[in-house]
Amino acid sequence: VQPGQFVHVLTPRPAGSLLPAVPVAGFDRVAGTVATLLAADELPTGPLRALRAGDRATFEGPLGRGFAIDARSRYLLVVADVEGFARVRAVVDEAVAGGRQVTVLLGAPTVSQVYPSTLLPDEAEYVVATTDGSLGHRGDVSGLVTAYEAWADQCFAAGSTELLARLANLAKGRDGRMGVARLGRRRGRRPEPGGTEARRRAWLQLALPHEIGCALGVCAGCTTGGMDGPVRICREGPAFAATELRWEPRS
Amino acid sequence: VKLRQDLARDRHGGLILAHPIIVAAGGGGFGSELLESVGELTPGAVVTSTVTRTPRRGAPAPRMVPSSHGILHALGSPNPGLDAVLRRHAARWGAAAVPVIVSLPADDAEDIAALARTLEMQPEVAGIELDLGAADNSRGGTPTGLDVEASEIATVAARAATDLPLVVRLSSVAPDIRVVARAVAAAGADAVSVSGSVRGLELERGRVGSALGSPYGWLSGPVAKPVGLRLVHEVAQAVRIPVLGAGGVHTLDDVLDYLSAGASAVGLATAALADPALPGRLGRELAAWGDEHGVGDVRELIGRALPRRTGRGSRRRR
Repeated sequence: VQPGQFVHVLTPRPAGSLLPAVPVAGFDRVAGTVATLLAADELPTGPLRALRAGDRATFEGPLGRGFAIDARSRYLLVVADVEGFARVRAVVDEAVAGGRQVTVLLGAPTVSQVYPSTLLPDEAEYVVATTDGSLGHRGDVSGLVTAYEAWADQCFAAGSTELLARLANLAKGRDGRMGVARLGRRRGRRPEPGGTEARRRAWLQLALPHEIGCALGVCAGCTTGGMDGPVRICREGPAFAATELRWEPRS
Repeated sequence: VKLRQDLARDRHGGLILAHPIIVAAGGGGFGSELLESVGELTPGAVVTSTVTRTPRRGAPAPRMVPSSHGILHALGSPNPGLDAVLRRHAARWGAAAVPVIVSLPADDAEDIAALARTLEMQPEVAGIELDLGAADNSRGGTPTGLDVEASEIATVAARAATDLPLVVRLSSVAPDIRVVARAVAAAGADAVSVSGSVRGLELERGRVGSALGSPYGWLSGPVAKPVGLRLVHEVAQAVRIPVLGAGGVHTLDDVLDYLSAGASAVGLATAALADPALPGRLGRELAAWGDEHGVGDVRELIGRALPRRTGRGSRRRR
């Protein structure tokens, strides 16, 4: 299991709907368990709406390719909004377990939707921005990133398309001069774009939601725009280097 | 109960299905992933997603959105081209005991002939499905299957190029599907297939455009079943070759409905995306059901709902 992957949930569902996918928000490799994370307001409408407390359901996975944490990075930045936080939550545990320093930047509309700091490991630094200013900084979480970008070796993000596009724009052009990209790079040797090496070297990695599809790579339904044509979220992703994806507005 | 059937008795070797529940085009990619994941629960056959002569990227994202009682999709036939598909998947097809039918778009007679000739050389390929729902480039992108003559030309092009079993997939939006069915049967098709999937539209959240990257999509899932049943029922009365039906099949009851309406084989696509082993499981359920109800041969179940006059019961049996 890697942070950024997802699992399918075999729940009762209306005929014809595909299996709901939920992100792996935490895992225990020794116990062999995975955990997911849903916002309270997602319960009645979200992917697990068919389940009640105490129900048993089967998880199928892990699916997809997760984030690639470079062995040399020491300082990790995690950026998310409320919707995307579950997809990056496991990076925090993985970073702490590996003795890395991690800072979490979370954006939320208001204080009641902020992930409780008590649920994060003590080793993680936690900075919150709320749109209404009810907790932490007022404004958008992407405004906080500039203060940390020079510090971080790698950045892992998930959230709304707008947030990811802003982050990708910020990282664009600075890639190759920031963080892990400059560690031990040899002249004239560029990793193949889209490959594991290039992904690990990217300063900014993003996890996209797997909203629909078979997750086996056969239906070609879960695609998003990549630099060299469509990429499947379930196979090439859901974690991508920001440089692998196209950020043009939809026409 | 005997479930085994030959859908192409006029062809050398035929097209033999161990049971009549198959994976329809779009439900199992190019087959190898599905065949690897189902274990013993093998489908009666696998129809691949559409394969073209040259690689195709497919439609812009999003390509698939949920819809009430189904999903709406516009995929645009993404595929790496026939050579790459054969290189990556043919070995797996050969290793499986399941016939694999390769789906080709009926868009250009020259391409059809070239693709069919290549497939003819592949021992792993059990048959060809020619998709008349594909856009005909010479006719401004409307589906070939809307035009009787164009459907005939496409069928003849494939038939002339190969001796493989040829299934022709009719367009669900043809004005009179019976006329097209008769024409392609006369042009050399061994079987025809129909799907109840129809064109649809879902709007994105702001309601200012399509939720898909393409303007319209195909609506599949349970919502397509009555459409598919009607098409099977119409076509089964029009032609004497086997009819393959698909659209909204999820349960044994759905399978029995399609068989009664005149389908010799029943395809699953959307349901197989969520559960690739479902066609194989339904095959076992059908066998158990047949034994329980004293059915000797699956052919006794086919076409029971057809009018007596043209029903299968009155036909010559081989």
